[in-house]
Amino acid sequence: MRLASGPVLRELLAREWRERYQGSVLGVAWLGLLPLAQLAVLAFVFGTLLPARASSGALPYPMFLALGLFPWLLFANAVNRGVTAYLDNAGLIARVPLPPSLYVHARVLGSVIVDGAGLLLVLGVLVAFGLRFDAVGAMAALCGVAVLALTALALARIAALLQVFVRDLAALVGQLTGLGFFLAPVLYERSQLPAATAEALGWNPLVAPLEAIRHGLSGEGALPWAALGVSACVAVVLLGLSLGLQRRAGRHIEDFL
Amino acid sequence: MSGAATPMTTREAPLVRVEGLSKRYPVVGASGDRLSALGRLLLGRAPLREVEVLSGIDLTIHRGESLGIVGENGAGKSTLLKLITGTLTPSTGRVVGEARIGALLELGAGFHPEYSGRDNVRMAAAIHGLAGEALAAKLPEIEAFAEIGRYFDEPVKHYSSGMVVRLGFAVIAATRPDLLITDEVLAVGDERFQKKCIRWIDQYLAEGGTLLLVSHSLYHVQKLCRHAIWLKDGRIEAQGDAFDVTQRYQAWLEQREAADRTAIAAGGDFRIDAMEVAMHGMESPQGGTIRIALRASSRHGERPHLLVGLSRIDGTAIFGTGTEIDGVQAWPIGSPGQVGAQLVLEDVRLQPGDYRLRAHAMDPEALRVFDTVERTFSVGGASREFGLLRLPHRWEAP
Repeated sequence: MRLASGPVLRELLAREWRERYQGSVLGVAWLGLLPLAQLAVLAFVFGTLLPARASSGALPYPMFLALGLFPWLLFANAVNRGVTAYLDNAGLIARVPLPPSLYVHARVLGSVIVDGAGLLLVLGVLVAFGLRFDAVGAMAALCGVAVLALTALALARIAALLQVFVRDLAALVGQLTGLGFFLAPVLYERSQLPAATAEALGWNPLVAPLEAIRHGLSGEGALPWAALGVSACVAVVLLGLSLGLQRRAGRHIEDFL
Repeated sequence: MSGAATPMTTREAPLVRVEGLSKRYPVVGASGDRLSALGRLLLGRAPLREVEVLSGIDLTIHRGESLGIVGENGAGKSTLLKLITGTLTPSTGRVVGEARIGALLELGAGFHPEYSGRDNVRMAAAIHGLAGEALAAKLPEIEAFAEIGRYFDEPVKHYSSGMVVRLGFAVIAATRPDLLITDEVLAVGDERFQKKCIRWIDQYLAEGGTLLLVSHSLYHVQKLCRHAIWLKDGRIEAQGDAFDVTQRYQAWLEQREAADRTAIAAGGDFRIDAMEVAMHGMESPQGGTIRIALRASSRHGERPHLLVGLSRIDGTAIFGTGTEIDGVQAWPIGSPGQVGAQLVLEDVRLQPGDYRLRAHAMDPEALRVFDTVERTFSVGGASREFGLLRLPHRWEAP
């Protein structure tokens, strides 16, 4: 059957948007309020309550943390929202002849758009408080965000498919992204760690995009172009793996929903 | 005819071609079944435990065709429609065709209960490639066709089943697909909207549309479809002219019901032992007589009440009465508990068509039906008048 995937994806995205804000008093204002509130809490806790400083340079710790935390949230939220996409839309998948992966794409894309907008807003505030970066740094950060989003899409596609067969997976993914938060340089700079640990963490494909964003936007630390390239390749391989899984097992997911 | 495809030849390429289609559902009741199935699917193998619901289906649907699918619950009708629509993947075989399909698979197929009718219409229209200005132009037409008033902006979870079908059909009418697939939707909703849908389908077919209709109403299949297939236990039992196939199916149903009734009657307290129907002069404009002779019996020697109903073949009731309603008792015959009675319907002026007579045996209090026997009959002739009955009438000068 011929299918108009473009308009359908747009409509699914619109539904994602409405699901987030429908019924709330502040509605779409949450899009800006939430990241700004999170930034204010970071500034208060690590600027006033527990004053801390980043190990490298003169970057205030709340600013250092924000440059790692918001990109991490963009990744983790996208994966966690994507993993239940098939189960949450089981009723539609059984009745509407759409490629099921569209539901995952809409979930991940919707999440990335919302968190990307939040990240831009936070950046605007940080610039107002003195953050400066050049065009090359901005490009590195943009590439870092793109690699994070691509990795999130690939992992969400794999996890959503496996979740149809192994229903425990959604809880496990939640725990794993929680663990990943500490295994990625969000709270700390990798250079603070013992050399062997820092090198071992370098194998984590999420490290390079996070460091590209933080280093690129703060101007402190080398831009990890080569490692970012490797992370991009890992993301592409994961995406290929998700396509392979979809081809083998995804053709029959409606039988297991 | 059994199991073989009736050739429906045309020079045009088929709109949809179904080749060797079968569907097996995995059995995933036990813990570990899903994991095992995942492992086997990844290795390119079928799950260990499966149940076959459809097998060896070959079917060709040409543009302008109207095909009805009949069969019992569980025969595989809905599975076949889902395979053709693409919401299910076949276990073997394939569906070939690039038709733009409009499907009403279940009540409001694909409607999200939390979203309003308007939101759901937007999604359903997007699936058919209708969006932006084109959709904005069509929305008033969809809203008008559905006739659900202010509910159009209410969540679908607040709709009655009839309203959901109204909305679903309104989308189909607006998008006008190459192939219209409906699964029992004409059984839901009020009679006025059903008629509106049937009128729309009639016009759609007259303009070259293609219909695939699943219905338990043989009347609808005969009215709307030129051809039909009868699915039995996941296989094609018969295929061909809609009247031939539905009559074979009807005969099989009656045969099976009779067997069931015998089994029930053997253990029931009151039963109809015989029903004979004699008709005279039914095609006469002055009306005819129907004589229904009944014999009934009870296990414990009580005298059962008898009930008789006359309906059109589609179930529309025409007349019904019973011994209890008319204040009479069935007459004893033979041994205790055996009774007989004849109901004579006089001056019956039925329009040409197919009808059904049902007789029921009830308990002496006339509270509960214990047994049912039915007979169908046809009234011949040609008439351009409307309705069920031919009422005596005349035209006079003003």
